[in-house]
Amino acid sequence: MATAIELKNVIKRFGEFNAVDDVSFSVKEGAICGFLGPNGAGKTTSIRMILDILRPTSGSISILGEKNASLVRDRIGYLPEEKGLYKKMTAAGIIAYFATLKGMPKKEARSIARELLQKYGLGSFMDHKCEALSKGMGQKVQVLASIAHSPDLVILDEPFSGLDPVNQEVMEEVIRDLKSQGKTVLFSTHVMSHAERICEDIVVIAAGKLAFNGTVQQAKAILPRRVRVGGESIEEVIPSLDGIVSCTPLQDGREGVLELIVEETTDSRNLLKSFFDAGIALDIFEVVKPDLHEIFVHLVGEDAREAAHR
Amino acid sequence: MIRIYRVALREYMENAKTKGFWIGILLFPLMIWLMLEVPRFLEEKGIPTRHVIIVAKDDAAGDISRQRLTLLNRQKSLSSLQQHLAKETADQRAEMLENTEFDAAELLEKLEEGLSQISPDAGAINPFNPEQLVEIGDLVPDELLLNDFRWKALKNLLLSQLPEGSAAFVEPELRFKEVSLPGDLTSESTNEEIENALRPYLRSEKLFPSNDENVDLFALVIIPENVFDGESQIRFWSTNLADTDLLDAITNSLSEHARNLEYEKREISTADVTEIAALRIRSNNFNPNKEAGEEKVGIRDKIRQYAPIGFVYLLWIAIFSVAQMLLNNTIEEKSNRIIEVLLSSVTTNELLLGKVFGVAAVGVTMQLAWIGSMITILRLKAGPGAEWVVDLMAAVISPELLIGFIFYFVTGYLFYAFLFAGIGSVCNTIKDAQNFMGPIMLILMVPLGTMMFIPNDPNGTIATAMSWIPPWSPFIMMNRMAANPPMSDIVGTGVMMIVSVIMVFWISSRVFRVGVLRTGQPPKILELLGWLRSSNS
Ligand SMILES: Nc1ncnc2c1ncn2[C@@H]1O[C@H](COP(=O)(O)OP(=O)(O)O)[C@@H](O)[C@H]1O
Ligand SMILES: [Mg+2]
Repeated sequence: MATAIELKNVIKRFGEFNAVDDVSFSVKEGAICGFLGPNGAGKTTSIRMILDILRPTSGSISILGEKNASLVRDRIGYLPEEKGLYKKMTAAGIIAYFATLKGMPKKEARSIARELLQKYGLGSFMDHKCEALSKGMGQKVQVLASIAHSPDLVILDEPFSGLDPVNQEVMEEVIRDLKSQGKTVLFSTHVMSHAERICEDIVVIAAGKLAFNGTVQQAKAILPRRVRVGGESIEEVIPSLDGIVSCTPLQDGREGVLELIVEETTDSRNLLKSFFDAGIALDIFEVVKPDLHEIFVHLVGEDAREAAHR
Repeated sequence: MIRIYRVALREYMENAKTKGFWIGILLFPLMIWLMLEVPRFLEEKGIPTRHVIIVAKDDAAGDISRQRLTLLNRQKSLSSLQQHLAKETADQRAEMLENTEFDAAELLEKLEEGLSQISPDAGAINPFNPEQLVEIGDLVPDELLLNDFRWKALKNLLLSQLPEGSAAFVEPELRFKEVSLPGDLTSESTNEEIENALRPYLRSEKLFPSNDENVDLFALVIIPENVFDGESQIRFWSTNLADTDLLDAITNSLSEHARNLEYEKREISTADVTEIAALRIRSNNFNPNKEAGEEKVGIRDKIRQYAPIGFVYLLWIAIFSVAQMLLNNTIEEKSNRIIEVLLSSVTTNELLLGKVFGVAAVGVTMQLAWIGSMITILRLKAGPGAEWVVDLMAAVISPELLIGFIFYFVTGYLFYAFLFAGIGSVCNTIKDAQNFMGPIMLILMVPLGTMMFIPNDPNGTIATAMSWIPPWSPFIMMNRMAANPPMSDIVGTGVMMIVSVIMVFWISSRVFRVGVLRTGQPPKILELLGWLRSSNS
């Protein structure tokens, strides 16, 4: 599959400080890619460089097969991190205006603007001035403005921040719709649950450095596999079993529960069977599935704290 | 290109929707209208008949003063009759003008000739006031107006000029009307008695009973017995200090009479005096810069020299009005962070050019609306005569001059517009912007201050030196254009202005690029210099 975005050894220096430090990653065409990292990790800076709003200090970026975003800007949609609209323009007017800036003919832009507002539940606010919209509505308008010209690649910087849970779902729906239309989506966030629900690929950066680039599946494989067990005199059996790396009592308050870290090759069914064979009456047998949040903390834990102190 | 156009179009439409724009457009003609109408309105209707009491302790002085009252009244009547006549014959005159070809240059020539024959103290005649060209009121001698028989004849003559079917002429109210002293007072009473008795009426505490109506007493004039000795003074009582027509008329006429008495006493003939007073020394102005035989400096040259002030002022207003719009819009886009979306769609240069052109279009619309409304009002008010003014201006301002003005206007405008956009991009609030604006405003005040004296010495050292300083160059050069500045100055400053505009554009575009993404305090100058060098921009 072709790549939509590719960064190679990109560095962005602000004075003495490397906001983005030798980052390389790529985003496949047609994928939804989550761009994850704690605050101050360099997500926004990277995105601005991808869009040619900032120029990298060194390194190269290719986007939709071109060296420079300004050559393909009509095929890109962008929602910046800090959201705002022209206060005096109407919702439909502003969406149409941004679409025309992307080369869309005026008439078409106007009808698309109305269509989109209708579709995402803002039909009755079409001709309201932006200053009269609530923050969430304004943000929706801005998202619609970034996709009205039907771009091949949509880059959303923190699209969920500032939205209530209902609108967060609408946002997820928008992203899934884009995917179903075959668009590529890159969105940044520091909240993992959204990424978990809608992404197949993720890029994780921390303190300006790349921490991970791959599928969610691959990310989950990074964490050691864990199984929690509990039962009468279970400790005595464990040393005799194969494929177990370590065994520690669980700290979460449950009495007598142990957390086993098992080898990657170990099949949990075989493990269960060995307990039966050893005649243990199990109270608990729980295969722990790592969620993205855990992986995230694992990947960036140290750096995240460091960045927070900066 | 299409993006520049779209940014410009939005900028234009959004500004055109603001209240400020419409107030700006409508306020100006309204102001001109008021300026023209208010004095006329006041003259026609606003000033009611003023009731005055004249107490003359000298009979001759009393007669002369009362004559003046009559004269003022008849002048007013004549003027309103003339206006009526002008109104009723407007169509006829328009037709006549349309059917006569006239050469503006020739007209100027004649005017100049005519003016040089009028002695300077008749000089209140303004060749650009078409109404004054046909004003006859000033030309009718006082003796004629004061002669009852001839006054009637004059009026009848004028009335007979009214075309058929004209509205009837309505005699205006009297300008002044004398009322007599109340019952127990006579001109023999002492000043104190009279003044004490009349004080409440003069203060408008009471209405003054005159015949069968009560009127507001405007003034009391007490003329002393030996007024012609020049020793005792006229006592003029009135709360109105602004309307001095009556007092002026009375003092002037009494002074004249006093002088005549004095001539007689010293046995000097009054005819001799008039003759001597008419003696005038005239002068002719020559300009050594002009071709032999054409050195004479006429009004044409005077207008040529001063007309640029209008353009300097126009440029100044244009710069001022766009400054506000550009700053506001850039700061709005910046503080709303719309700028990032914009920059992902258009380049900095496109955005900057779009904004500057859009706002310029707003300014031009406003100015065209002003010029349009000014011409319309002039036409409505002055009839087709207004076109003379335009033709005269056209004859005076040659195409070369106009091209010069347009060139310096455009470069001057762009110079400042790019500068303001750049400033807007580094500020987060209008307040930040004001810190930067202060010095620029100071710089902008200079050409405004010099524009009146540059025409006095258009090719002097100061003017020439200032022409070479880019922020002032467009103003000063406009100022000098009419005085045939050396070609080297025109070409040199022209090239300099083009280079400066490109420089300012380049700098602004770089500053803009870094500035708009920046939040927090506006940068220090040193930091700005750093941005210009940084590869990021
Ligand atoms: N224009 C700038 N000048 C100086 N430092 C900046 C600038 N933009 C971002 N930074 C710094 O770079 C780091 C990364 O910022 P950013 O890319 O916004 O992080 P994220 O979007 O991941 O939260 C932050 O420490 C921030 O302070
Ligand atoms: Mg960010």
